Amino acid sequence: MSHEVEILLVEDSSEDAELTIRALRRYKIANEIQVAEDGAEALDFLFCRGAFKDRPPSQVPRLVLLDLKLPKVSGLEVLKAIRGDERTRAIPVVVLTSSKEERDLIEGYKLGVNAYAQKPVDFEQFSETVRQIGMFWMLINQPPPPGAFATSKAQGA
Amino acid sequence: MGKIGTQIGEMRHTEAELLSARMETAAASTRKMKVLIACGNTLAILFLLVKGFLIHWEARKRNLAEENLKQANERLERRTAELSETNSELESFAYSVAHDLRAPLRHIAGYSSVLAQDYGPRLDAEGLRCLTTIVDSAGRMGRLVDDLLALSQIGRKALAFQETELGSVVAQVVEELATESAGRDVEWQIGELFSAECDPGLMKQVFANLLSNAVKYTRRQQHAVIQVGLSTQNGERVIFIRDNGAGFEMQYADKLFGVFQRLHKARDFEGTGVGLAIVQRIIRKHGGRIWAEAAVDQGATFFFTVGTPEIKVREQPEPAIHEEEMHVARS
Repeated sequence: MSHEVEILLVEDSSEDAELTIRALRRYKIANEIQVAEDGAEALDFLFCRGAFKDRPPSQVPRLVLLDLKLPKVSGLEVLKAIRGDERTRAIPVVVLTSSKEERDLIEGYKLGVNAYAQKPVDFEQFSETVRQIGMFWMLINQPPPPGAFATSKAQGA
Repeated sequence: MGKIGTQIGEMRHTEAELLSARMETAAASTRKMKVLIACGNTLAILFLLVKGFLIHWEARKRNLAEENLKQANERLERRTAELSETNSELESFAYSVAHDLRAPLRHIAGYSSVLAQDYGPRLDAEGLRCLTTIVDSAGRMGRLVDDLLALSQIGRKALAFQETELGSVVAQVVEELATESAGRDVEWQIGELFSAECDPGLMKQVFANLLSNAVKYTRRQQHAVIQVGLSTQNGERVIFIRDNGAGFEMQYADKLFGVFQRLHKARDFEGTGVGLAIVQRIIRKHGGRIWAEAAVDQGATFFFTVGTPEIKVREQPEPAIHEEEMHVARS
């Protein structure tokens, strides 16, 4: 299995994380969900550093669900780092946040986000939003073949 | 011969007399003239002195006035800057509050739903009723917070002016309202409007809010009539939206456009009380005015002007503040 962790959920609020995971499991979209509580932890996980230094780098999550307002390293900075590195460039990143500030939207798309959704207050709508995102990115969307980007980096170097 | 000689002598004498008399007159004239010239010059010099003094005095007065004006202008500019800063601080405060309220609210709504799903069967009727109330209230507060966010976003948005055919905006809004008025007898009377220089997205929101209100408040009418038209008041083009719905008491008209102000009970007509505040804010940003006339159970008419394109020049420099505020709002 190349995708051990299916979804990396970058979310500092444990309540939001729990509700998101609940929705993902309820609709049987993903079981292997890694939660990173801030941007720094997310980057450590993605680039196999710090607490995740023993994680095999070939295993990239199939989807990153990214909150924007995060302690230490902001969501947009995480996005920038993901898009800036050959190993992680192709990972679909969906921003799931409270803010629909025009500035965040513009910056998010400039940095190459795949989708941008606002967390609805109503739980049924929230579950439905998470379900639709999960359905599309985990079941309908075709990810790039495993290792495709790691190889192109080796060739390019 | 002697006679001739005497006569010539007399003539000479007379001539000499005349000459001396004329010379005397000339001398007197010259003296007078000199006195006159001297007087004239003195007067001219005096006049110039007075004039010079007056000019000097006037210039000083002007300088002083100019200085005062400059100071007044500076004061005014400072105050405007202070006001706009306070305003943007308030806007970002409203934004952060609303934004930060959303997360705990989402958790209340989320966990109550989880409770209902997982533990619903173990609760009795009263327990379920309480839980439903929590979910409903959280949902209502969510709508309030979202509307408040929308309102503060409009306050900070820079207008994107574009020549817009208002008639087609209305047609679009009416089409989108079809689901809201489905199954009801609603007669739309849409008159000719005009093409205006405005922000099309925001202007659509104005019509959407006003027309959906008209649909909402005519709900109890067997035959609802909603009119959109154009009238002229004091040479100004005024758009009106009239319905034959519930109306309101004119004595509360001043509260109509206030945030969270409602003139109807939530039980009768649902709503958060932000829709008309948004409408007023958009109209004001365009340099227009909005007012309403109504009577209870006899319908309401909303009038508004779109404003003049000159306003946009004044509105343009806003993005600078906008950017800064965003930062405050996000941090």
